[in-house]
Amino acid sequence: MNEYDVVVLGGGPAGLAAALASFNEGMNTLIIERENRLGGILKQCIHDGFGLIKFKEKLTGPEYAQRYIEQVLACQIPVLLNTFVLTVEKAGTGFVITLVNAAQGVEQIKTRSLILATGCRERTAKQVFINGTRPAGVFTAGTAQHLVNIEGYLPGKKCVILGSGDIGLIMARRLTLEGAQVLAVYEAKSTPSGLSRNIVQCLNDFHIPLHLSTTITRVFGDNRVEAVEIARVDENMRPIKGTEQVISCDTVILSVGLIPENEIADMLGVEIDAATKGPVVDQNFMTSVEGVFSCGNALHVNDLVDYVSESGEIAGANAAQYVREATPRQLAEIKMSPDFLYVVPQQININSSNRKAVLYFRSREVRENMRVTIKSGDQVLLSKRYVILRPPEMERVRLVIKDGLASNQIEITMEPVKNKEMAL
Amino acid sequence: MVRGDTVRKRLQVLENRVRKTISPDVSLRKWHSSIILEGTVSTWDQLYDAGKMCANQGYKGVVNKLKVKGLEILKIKKPQLADDFLQGKQVDVLVIGGGIIGCAIARELAKWQLSILLVEKEEDVAMHASSRNDGMIHPGIEPKIGSKKAIFNVKGNEMYTRVARELDVKLIRCGSSVLFDSPLLKLVKPVLDIRANKMGVKGISLLSREEALQKEPNIGVPIAGAVHFATTGIISPYKMTVAYAENAVQNGAEVSLNTVVLSMTKEHGRITSVKTNRGTVYPKVVINAAGTFADIIADMAGDQFFSIHPRKGEILFLDKKKGELINGVIGKPSLTQTKSNTKGGGVVKTVDGNVLVGPDAYEQPFREDFSTNMNNIEAIMQKHLPLIRGFSPADVIAYCAGIRACTYEEDFIIERSEYVDNLVYAAGIQSPGLASAPAIAAEIERITCKVLSEVMDVKPKQNWNPIRKGIPELSSMDFESRSKIIKENPHYGEIVCRCEGISKGEIIAAIHSPIPVTSVDAIKRRVRAGMGRCQGGFCLPTVMTIINEETGIPMTSITKKGNDSNIVVAETKQNPTTGGEGVE
Repeated sequence: MNEYDVVVLGGGPAGLAAALASFNEGMNTLIIERENRLGGILKQCIHDGFGLIKFKEKLTGPEYAQRYIEQVLACQIPVLLNTFVLTVEKAGTGFVITLVNAAQGVEQIKTRSLILATGCRERTAKQVFINGTRPAGVFTAGTAQHLVNIEGYLPGKKCVILGSGDIGLIMARRLTLEGAQVLAVYEAKSTPSGLSRNIVQCLNDFHIPLHLSTTITRVFGDNRVEAVEIARVDENMRPIKGTEQVISCDTVILSVGLIPENEIADMLGVEIDAATKGPVVDQNFMTSVEGVFSCGNALHVNDLVDYVSESGEIAGANAAQYVREATPRQLAEIKMSPDFLYVVPQQININSSNRKAVLYFRSREVRENMRVTIKSGDQVLLSKRYVILRPPEMERVRLVIKDGLASNQIEITMEPVKNKEMAL
Repeated sequence: MVRGDTVRKRLQVLENRVRKTISPDVSLRKWHSSIILEGTVSTWDQLYDAGKMCANQGYKGVVNKLKVKGLEILKIKKPQLADDFLQGKQVDVLVIGGGIIGCAIARELAKWQLSILLVEKEEDVAMHASSRNDGMIHPGIEPKIGSKKAIFNVKGNEMYTRVARELDVKLIRCGSSVLFDSPLLKLVKPVLDIRANKMGVKGISLLSREEALQKEPNIGVPIAGAVHFATTGIISPYKMTVAYAENAVQNGAEVSLNTVVLSMTKEHGRITSVKTNRGTVYPKVVINAAGTFADIIADMAGDQFFSIHPRKGEILFLDKKKGELINGVIGKPSLTQTKSNTKGGGVVKTVDGNVLVGPDAYEQPFREDFSTNMNNIEAIMQKHLPLIRGFSPADVIAYCAGIRACTYEEDFIIERSEYVDNLVYAAGIQSPGLASAPAIAAEIERITCKVLSEVMDVKPKQNWNPIRKGIPELSSMDFESRSKIIKENPHYGEIVCRCEGISKGEIIAAIHSPIPVTSVDAIKRRVRAGMGRCQGGFCLPTVMTIINEETGIPMTSITKKGNDSNIVVAETKQNPTTGGEGVE
């Protein structure tokens, strides 16, 4: 049985960064990738805008991925492609992974530490309770993107898009450029889900209307989509009777949210955060199961790949640290006020030598002129002012954890900036 | 004469009753031994109620020809295909309908030296009720004692063990628990025992609250106890149908998909030819297993003595993750057939480990409207999800609708036609049709052989093989056998569908199976690629590529479910492999 220090599940941006970080710490590292190429979802993201933070450059998805892939190749980190993990079990001080591929059949390997970089999947039409018939022509935005950008085929000619998530917006532009007609984007929420820059560049620039507080309730058509019924929704997102309208189209593209893929985490009994749908982790991105780390979109759905890579680096470096010296954890919960949608990490390991935590958070609602404060007891660890906080735009802060925290609980809150303060 | 007067009088009384309660525009007349309703009513409910009033009034069947003012009844959906593939074909047996009943009949008849043709209007078998039900092999306690439903259900349930083994289809005898919340219901047990005895249903036991909770620890509603039916089984209804059809084909039967029956000719009380969209066929015997269209087929033969009223139901499926919360079938309905003719639905752990919830049941006019409705889906969730602690609407991964082929008599029609010598009926098959299928097929086999023996010698086939091997299910193999099969065929090591862990080898096997399939949905039904929580989001493009590689069908011609359900419509401007032209 082959043995590794660190096994990374997933060869997308999170996994690549994690593997490099672990390798650079001198760990015997392996990447397991389900598909036939490294790069994850970036392979199909041929639009630009990747790497602005990381590389101060505007790269396409494949270009961004290639920078990491080349390093992985240069380091000769072993990669198993076309390989699918069947089970992971805790065994002694490590884990036994059972995997399957065409070359080896079913095989088992051993590792001291495991990094889950398994990405996320898209919510489907049924998960947003669209009714009607089940014809061809209903796609999640990612599937449509795969068909167009990887396979080279157009999924339809007259499209409507439900959901203003980033991939949906990107696809609105992409399909338009390919000659398809994008009639409109409908969003059930009263505010857009995607980044502002994508609303501008993908919709406004192409005169594609965005209808907020509107959803698709029914799909018509036996073989191929023939039309959809749209309706306005109330504040509880329930369709309002009498506002229904039938729009003739041949394609429905759904961009209605992403769900972290955590089937393997579940197998291991990793605690999952109900808000992120990803594992509960400490500042080292170690999950509730010692030795199991999580990063990227499997941890929480990011809107920028730069932060996906960053979380991979953190997980990789700390997985290495864990393999070198596993010290008992002392966990302090980060308690968030209801103003937040989520905060990652959810815990701080006070015993960890990593004293510089990176925190990602999202506001539950659009809030202007807010001050975010992180406190431990009366001790203020961080205080930062924001002109605007929007749920679709993830915020990142660095938190220095001083020795001897005042309390075992850390609180993150936000409150409006006082007028006096604003004047200053 | 006196007798005739009584009959007329009885009809008059019934007509008056219908006119008084439903509408004065309804008239009744007798035809052979059935009763025909004609006229106009204002709603579908009235049409249905009128039919119901005339059912079981001493007539063989109710033929409901009422019209609803302003309601357009959709015509049968026909395949787009039109060719001469079957033109002039002479067969001993023509089976109309590729649901589980038609396919099971074809399989049983294939043990005789007969030429058998099964026609199905959809692009695959099991496209209507046979893929749109809860997969339950009922114990057989619910139907009316002495009904065909009762007889064939109990017999069919028993037969499944053997048939599933022969055809390599997974059957789980998981048992079902019918929960009750009143301790008084324990008194029902002796009555139930008498009933079970009469019907031949075995394995019924009364569970205390504690015993019931031991069997199903996650029950989330207050209960006083449960009645447990040990013989209840679950099966994949479409895999069972496919298995029947494949075994029939292996034994020489022919299955013609995308083939719809358009009309028939008759001479001297016999069907002489059957016209389809693929040419005219000349059968010695016709078997009507046409599901919701069985009455229309009967009418083509001038023999419509019953009507089908489509009773729709919707079901939903939960993520496999929730499968571990239940062990079998759980319901909280009444124990005997109720007026609503539904068993009330419940939660079922499917053979694949998902949870199936529902179905509901309601009357509506359309025979193949498989659309789902928000109100029904929500009502099913509200009714059944609380049964188990831990089920939530967020676990729903899919839902669909099915239509039951009900007669007004609410019983199966399994017989030789009284007026057309070479027409045999397996009609009005609704729940428990799946559970009854093996027994129905055996009976139709017996009847058909008898009908045929009047015109030819019917001899057993020497080399009939009842054994069919299904596509290997890699995910349920132990690691050693899995490695072995991958060594023999490396495609079995390439996972395409990540949610269900389905390999490329399994998909290729489905494409080249005894009834070759090329649509994405047909592959999904056979090997479950795309049936998991992402609903094909990840594997759709790969499955399409495999279809393209294996069959040469261009990507733009690959369909979701036959006809013009094409998945992609054109090449992009710079298709990497073809340098395509994009949209004009």
